[in-house]
Amino acid sequence: MDPMEVFKIEIAGEEYGAKKYREIIMDILQDLGLIRSIGQLYVYVDIKKPVFAVYGLLRTGIPPLLVRDVADVAQASGGFQLKVNDEEHMADLLKALWAKYGRESVEQPSRDIVVVATDASPSDLAVTDLEAEFRQDLTDALVRVAPEGFRNRRNEMTENSFFFISAEDTLNPQLISEIKEKIRSMQNA
Amino acid sequence: MLEPVMFTGGVYKHDLVMELVEDLGGYILQKNVTQSEVILLMLIPTEDMAAMKALISDLRGELVRAPLAGTEVAVVTPTLAIHHLPHTACDIAEYLRRNGAKSNMIGLARGAGREIAQINEYESMLINEHDAAVFIFGNFIECIRKKENLYRNISVPVVVTGGPAIPPKDLPYAFEYVPAVGRISHRAKKATEIGNLDNIIGAVGRALDRTRAEISKDPLTTSPPRVMDAVREQVPDVEYSFSPLPIALNLNGVRVKLPYDKYRDAVRAVRFDEGVSLGEIATIRPSRMKDYILVRIMPMSETGFIF
Repeated sequence: MDPMEVFKIEIAGEEYGAKKYREIIMDILQDLGLIRSIGQLYVYVDIKKPVFAVYGLLRTGIPPLLVRDVADVAQASGGFQLKVNDEEHMADLLKALWAKYGRESVEQPSRDIVVVATDASPSDLAVTDLEAEFRQDLTDALVRVAPEGFRNRRNEMTENSFFFISAEDTLNPQLISEIKEKIRSMQNA
Repeated sequence: MLEPVMFTGGVYKHDLVMELVEDLGGYILQKNVTQSEVILLMLIPTEDMAAMKALISDLRGELVRAPLAGTEVAVVTPTLAIHHLPHTACDIAEYLRRNGAKSNMIGLARGAGREIAQINEYESMLINEHDAAVFIFGNFIECIRKKENLYRNISVPVVVTGGPAIPPKDLPYAFEYVPAVGRISHRAKKATEIGNLDNIIGAVGRALDRTRAEISKDPLTTSPPRVMDAVREQVPDVEYSFSPLPIALNLNGVRVKLPYDKYRDAVRAVRFDEGVSLGEIATIRPSRMKDYILVRIMPMSETGFIF
């Protein structure tokens, strides 16, 4: 069963292609760990034009990653000591601390310990914006999914949806609105 | 009749196998040593196969038939982009290799797309130096039909692979079409996927058999393995070539992986026991692959004799 609520794919005259593209999209989204963040997905392909379009609704609301999410914060002599539990975010954490307190106030005595010379607790400082990372990964996935040779691309992202279109020929406003109309009719079907 | 086989076994005493091949009048096409294991691709006279089997069972090695040994197959993808690599193209190339063929992967410079796909003269000539070619296409019937112009001018047999089932009459320029391959974003693991790879090997085997049958109507003056042996003996520098297979065999000649300008005269002067030189029975010209030497043996109708 698909983990998505809706996953529709329409390729006129190419049943096999539609079936295979469903598998490819699932494989790629799973590889990049994006599948849980997409609620609905509509894929429209017209191989005679040729054009490839994807419209998706996102399950948004990924909160930014805070210092207290990645490290245990404790008061120590001359500041606060952070014990980092998730080393994956070490680089982002140091960058955020340097930006806020300056390099001279941040010390790393051992691999997973960071000491910050400050009076106020840094636990509410944002380490990284996961939403932005997700959007980057999503764009990467869409470029991978699109058939090769479809070099003219356009990607429109809003707060809770994305629309990706790629074609061999130049993309003109008329074509884009035509494809959007097709996808809207898929949504209403 | 020489039978192509592959020996896999330990390095210890594998020289006994090599000696036996020489004693039986067979040829060693390729030797690969990987740490403690050795893989030998050889041609052995059919009537002496029992002797070889006995020795190899003593050595606890493995002997399997390698139907594609002594041939070079091009695995052609429209580009070297993520859409074809690594899964489909590498699986097919590796599977061809396991069956004894020398496989070369070729990505076209401008093969992407449906309307804009093209192949240039250099690429087609490079593919024509092989014995057969496998073209890997995607999942759309329309695109596979349209991309026929990529292989229309290829003179060696072309096996086309793709996703959907297409009747053979729709692809008149393809030697055979193997469906259910297409664009896949995972490695071939399931039995059905491995079965599809077997279908490709089968199609390539039939394509090579057709070429062999054509050659047998006007046989070559001498056999390519014999030329390989003579070149290896009389142009010793070939052993210093960095290529894993310094002399690649084709059905109608060999490719010597030495610079053309420096070594063409040495290759042309290679002599056989019968008193002829290689230059008299074969054309020697620059290969499209790097600066290698391409040797094409002339048929009996041109030289008037056979040995």
